[in-house]
Amino acid sequence: MNLPSTIKTSVRALRANWARSLLTILGIVIGVMAIVLVISLGQGAQNLILSQVQSIGSNTIILRPGRQPTQPSDAAETLLTDSLKQKDIDALLKPINVPDLQAADPAVLVPGAIGYQNSVYHATVLGWTPNALGEVFNVYPEQGSFFTQDDVKSYAKVIVIGSKVKQELFGDSDALGQFVTVHGQKLQVVGILPAKGQVTAFNVDDIGLIPYSTAQKTLLGIDYFHEIFLRAKPEANVDQVAADITATLRESHNITDPTKDDFFVVTQKTIVATVSTVTQVLTIFLVAIASISLMVGGIGIMNIMLVSVTERTQEIGLRKALGATNKNILMQFMIEAIILTFAGGLLGTLIAITISALVSFVAQTYFALAWPFTLPLGAIVLGVGVSTAIGLIFGLYPARKAAAKDPIEALRFE
Amino acid sequence: MALIQLENITKSYESEGTLTPVLHGISFSIQEGEFVSIMGPSGSGKSTLLHILGLLDRQTTGSYLFNSQDTSMLDDPARARIRNKYIGFVFQAFHLLKRTTVLENVMLPLYYSDVPKKEYAQKAKIALEHVELSHRLDHLPSQLSGGERQRVAIARALVNDPKVIFADEPTGNLDSKTGATVMNTIEKLHHQGKTIIVITHETAAADYANRIITITDGLISSDKNVTAPHTHYAK
Repeated sequence: MNLPSTIKTSVRALRANWARSLLTILGIVIGVMAIVLVISLGQGAQNLILSQVQSIGSNTIILRPGRQPTQPSDAAETLLTDSLKQKDIDALLKPINVPDLQAADPAVLVPGAIGYQNSVYHATVLGWTPNALGEVFNVYPEQGSFFTQDDVKSYAKVIVIGSKVKQELFGDSDALGQFVTVHGQKLQVVGILPAKGQVTAFNVDDIGLIPYSTAQKTLLGIDYFHEIFLRAKPEANVDQVAADITATLRESHNITDPTKDDFFVVTQKTIVATVSTVTQVLTIFLVAIASISLMVGGIGIMNIMLVSVTERTQEIGLRKALGATNKNILMQFMIEAIILTFAGGLLGTLIAITISALVSFVAQTYFALAWPFTLPLGAIVLGVGVSTAIGLIFGLYPARKAAAKDPIEALRFE
Repeated sequence: MALIQLENITKSYESEGTLTPVLHGISFSIQEGEFVSIMGPSGSGKSTLLHILGLLDRQTTGSYLFNSQDTSMLDDPARARIRNKYIGFVFQAFHLLKRTTVLENVMLPLYYSDVPKKEYAQKAKIALEHVELSHRLDHLPSQLSGGERQRVAIARALVNDPKVIFADEPTGNLDSKTGATVMNTIEKLHHQGKTIIVITHETAAADYANRIITITDGLISSDKNVTAPHTHYAK
């Protein structure tokens, strides 16, 4: 029996019980859909994160206290360590230590909220240098101006706020020159940022910027920094600059064993590598979970195929009497199983692509995220391929049972 | 040369360790072109004999030459090929595929044959002409009467131009009038040169044959040629 007529016979048999066929492949549809969706969304999310990382600029180097987290318990150490102080910045800025360093902007994170009269708004309050936001992220106040280097020196109680902070606290009334409360201190609003949304790691609309000196001494009473943004000279080799920074800090911190570092250096390159690793591990993990549903779907197919074989005992007997060999019968039922799972895989893939495209559309339209829709060709091949393979594996047992039927018994079956 | 030659065929079924003998030693030959009825009460072993003759089952002992070939030497695919090429089956319960048109039901054996695909429809139409059902090509079996269904089954048995047609109680599910039409159709095939072997317990149907073999308790109790034309069915 040739392949086209076998396929035709199989399709007819499946269509005769189309509702059952549809329910049978549901497990496969869901499994394949989950796999393709996870891969597709994972790719989209990874691309989104990477594009934001890239917007930091390739010559930006971030210095953090603590140890590069390599396992979950390490993450806590980052916040607890107070290893980065003003003397480190002074040492780094000496050209003899790091020749290609252009600037160092320390940052202090102030927990808490911004208050004005009776309203309180939970924003990200950051103690920073006057030029960091403008020069690193190219964002400048649309009203007023940044605080100055003199403000830093004099521990001035001033703040630059994001557009959303302004809107939440002041509404449409004028905010410039007003006093807001942070950590019990009254700070004067000297600048308001334009609505820019997410820029790299933080949302500019949701931010309060104050001189880092004020944040350290007046608000928190600490002498260390949470983060230092460093900029290499435009033509510099960033890896070399990062190595120089590491060497300088090890010297000034008296560290001889690199595993005992109380700081870590992050460049665009290392972030990209970390993000890729994390999303890949996550994707593999989720795909593994989704595969379980594919497995269950395969067992469902086997179950229904077994029922179908029993129901069609007579047909099998007749075909054998008319000259069908065991191989012919095996082929017929295998092809039925494969058509089922292939269709399931295709359907699941189509649904997943539709959802994925929809997610990227919603993210772009309503959340202003640069979430790209990528057609995950690998995922499609994987989804359809794996589901077809499942048809082969789980179809084999029922098909063998069909092929092994004795034509006499089969014809007697009523 | 005999088309079918049985030598001391026995058949026993084994179930739960006990052997149940059904055929005790059957020997006969059938020449090409004969019309043979195998008769006997139910339980006599005639259906078992038909299954062995039709290569659907294997004898326990004894030799069976079909078309001068020792069938005990044949493996399953070879037996399937012989069934497809040389044997046509007609069953009591018709065994037509439900959701399949008359034409495609008749084409079914060709799927497993060497016949080129483009000849399928033509061959099936010729077979349906023989049973006078050319006007029913696109009907489903459920739209046909019992007699018509059995004639479709006969067309299916004919389509690959077999040497012999085995009919197992072909009129068992039909009233006597439609039974007569079906038997007339089978008789016509005999006149065209086909070897016909009909298993039946109805003397009316058996009377179409020119030789009647009677099986009782797994043994041949009589084997005689009949020359008298059948008289039981009203013509």
